[in-house]
Amino acid sequence: MATKKFKKMEYGSADEMVFGESKYPLSYGLGLKVGSGAVIPEINFAPRPGSEKTVESLRREYVDYITKDVLDRAVTLGFSSVQLENEWISQMGYNSETLAKPIVAGQKEMMRKYHDEYGIACAIRHTIADQREGDGGLRPGMDSRHNYPEKLLESLEVACKNGADVVSIESVGGKEIADYAVVRQDIKGWLFGIGYLGSLDMEWLWTQMVDVAKRNNVVPGGDTNCAGANTAMFMAGGYLDKDIPRTFSAVTRAIAAARTLVAIECGATGPDKDCGYEGVIVKAISGRPSAQEGKGAQCAHADLMGNLIAQACDLWSNESVEYHPEFGGSSVQCWLGVIGYEAALMTASKQMKTDKILRDTYVVSDRFRSPEAFILAYDNAYKIGQAIVEHGESYYLRAKAAGLKAAELIQESNDKGKLKLTKEEKDALSRVSADLRSLPDDEGKFVDWALKEYANVPAFNPKNYEL
Amino acid sequence: MADLDSINVEPFLKRYDIVMESKESPQDIASRMYPAEPALRKVAEDIVFLKNKNIEADVQAALSEFSPNEVIDGGLLRGIEIVSEIYDRGIYYLPHVMVAADGFDKGIKVAEKALAGERQVKGTVVMHAAEGDPHDIGKNIAAVLLKSNGYGVIDLGRDVAVDDVVKTVLDKRPDVLTGTALMTTTMSAFPRVAEKLQENGMELPFICAGGAVNRGYVESFPMGIYADKAAEGPRLVAKSMEGWDWRKIRENWDKLIRGEKGEE
Repeated sequence: MATKKFKKMEYGSADEMVFGESKYPLSYGLGLKVGSGAVIPEINFAPRPGSEKTVESLRREYVDYITKDVLDRAVTLGFSSVQLENEWISQMGYNSETLAKPIVAGQKEMMRKYHDEYGIACAIRHTIADQREGDGGLRPGMDSRHNYPEKLLESLEVACKNGADVVSIESVGGKEIADYAVVRQDIKGWLFGIGYLGSLDMEWLWTQMVDVAKRNNVVPGGDTNCAGANTAMFMAGGYLDKDIPRTFSAVTRAIAAARTLVAIECGATGPDKDCGYEGVIVKAISGRPSAQEGKGAQCAHADLMGNLIAQACDLWSNESVEYHPEFGGSSVQCWLGVIGYEAALMTASKQMKTDKILRDTYVVSDRFRSPEAFILAYDNAYKIGQAIVEHGESYYLRAKAAGLKAAELIQESNDKGKLKLTKEEKDALSRVSADLRSLPDDEGKFVDWALKEYANVPAFNPKNYEL
Repeated sequence: MADLDSINVEPFLKRYDIVMESKESPQDIASRMYPAEPALRKVAEDIVFLKNKNIEADVQAALSEFSPNEVIDGGLLRGIEIVSEIYDRGIYYLPHVMVAADGFDKGIKVAEKALAGERQVKGTVVMHAAEGDPHDIGKNIAAVLLKSNGYGVIDLGRDVAVDDVVKTVLDKRPDVLTGTALMTTTMSAFPRVAEKLQENGMELPFICAGGAVNRGYVESFPMGIYADKAAEGPRLVAKSMEGWDWRKIRENWDKLIRGEKGEE
């Protein structure tokens, strides 16, 4: 498939990047404008366990409770705009025509009612479920047990035809190798899984995502390496965790950026997915709007860059919260308040022309909190983006270059006494750098080696990637 | 653009991970725990220091002096015990444990070939990721930890139908069942599994874990025992092997996992 690979940066310098602005702003949904001077809160949610028992109980949960609560609170607090995100639960993906369709249509109908009555600008992103399994098969015709690839494509049609304004996915190509590699601290395997195989799968998937979205006048948003780099980041965790060294997860994040970029190279326009922390690198390269999550997503997880990651976002998300009551209302209402006020703060700073001061304040507050925060600070993210576009044609070489650049930036700062590392983080960084440097400059040689090296990894089937 | 490196972070950031770094080395800890016999010590050293290329030859050499069970218990399993100790103290990270377990797997295959019959495992655990849930990295880590602690594992994989879990438990009669789920809507398979097992007259500790799973939910259905991390698996399964039923494990969960005082 022919895709247009990035060979140069859309931003002329790192300093040009700031929240609430992108090179290619978008207008969609019910009057929503993204990336053109305001940061939009994007509220995500999950239904309560048990609500999936019947079609009607799940529709009621999503439409009559969650969507209505969100819009009521947005109006109550005077938020001028809001984006909703519905990350499909597995049952919706498995039975999209029956279970998902009334929800997609019902949510849009409810939003239209509020838009008409109050004039609130709003839109909804549907993130369809990618349940494909490596051993079952990633492509149509391969998974005779569950038909997950076919169900993914059906979900895409159902979302686009019934009310989605933006369509996204958290795709899982290369995950079987990445899962194997991450617990062994094997950066070569991770590079093969996400940097190479993940990119191949993205190319196959996003060509279709873009095609179906465009035919239905829906915005093809973007992807995230939630399945890979977030797994590494959450295993690396905080200062009490010892599962993965944080230097290792930082390098996986840089590699993931080269893979998440493929969606845009296939025609996605942004906004990409909030949980793709690599989004700032993708934005530096592509100029497309980006959704991000940090301190307003503590309902879903802790991370070590709660402020920093807001630096260049266009939508500010809570990641996800299960619908339940809190003292201040339902959970979606409370977390909309958290992200909505933060988005208002960012947008107000743009009006006061203090946005770059706020951006830099966000950044310095977390810059040295972890190696991953450090490499995602916009100045460093920009340098990683440059490493990717220098090797734009080869998925392998650009992912490798991104990983090496991240390792180099961390090492330099640590050598200067700025970014502190534990002994294990330093050792892991040395091993990762040495491993990446030991790899060949030829993509074919690398792939031949990797296919033999990882031939026996459970669930890995080269046919999933036409290899 | 501001100088982003010049800020003094001390007033708002404390790197507790660096403050708490252990002064002990893996060598210090291992040297206190090695077996006395040189051949067994060599096997244990291979495991502890991840010398997986040497493990088969060193196990073979140890078998010329010791019985297969002595090599397994005194060399391979002792090596894993040392790795667990170093991991528990926060010096080793999870990948050390995983690579050590790969070495253990290689070594045990050599030792098992020398056994007259099948290796006696401490107990059997059936493991699965919930129906509809493709996320299984946590289960895989837990499986490695249980295997390298001497338990037999029947791994049903991910996205396993409730009926398949129930059928396997009824057929194999394991000591413990585990289930993992990342999503709140897939973890609802767990009470259905428990209910169907009870209908068939089967009760056993059912350890449930995963991203969206919480203790309150797991303890809302019969047999459910919550685990926060994969590393807690061997500790919980060990209690089952001591004869504790799921009620007793649940009642003593705080003491077992959090180390709080309480009656056993």
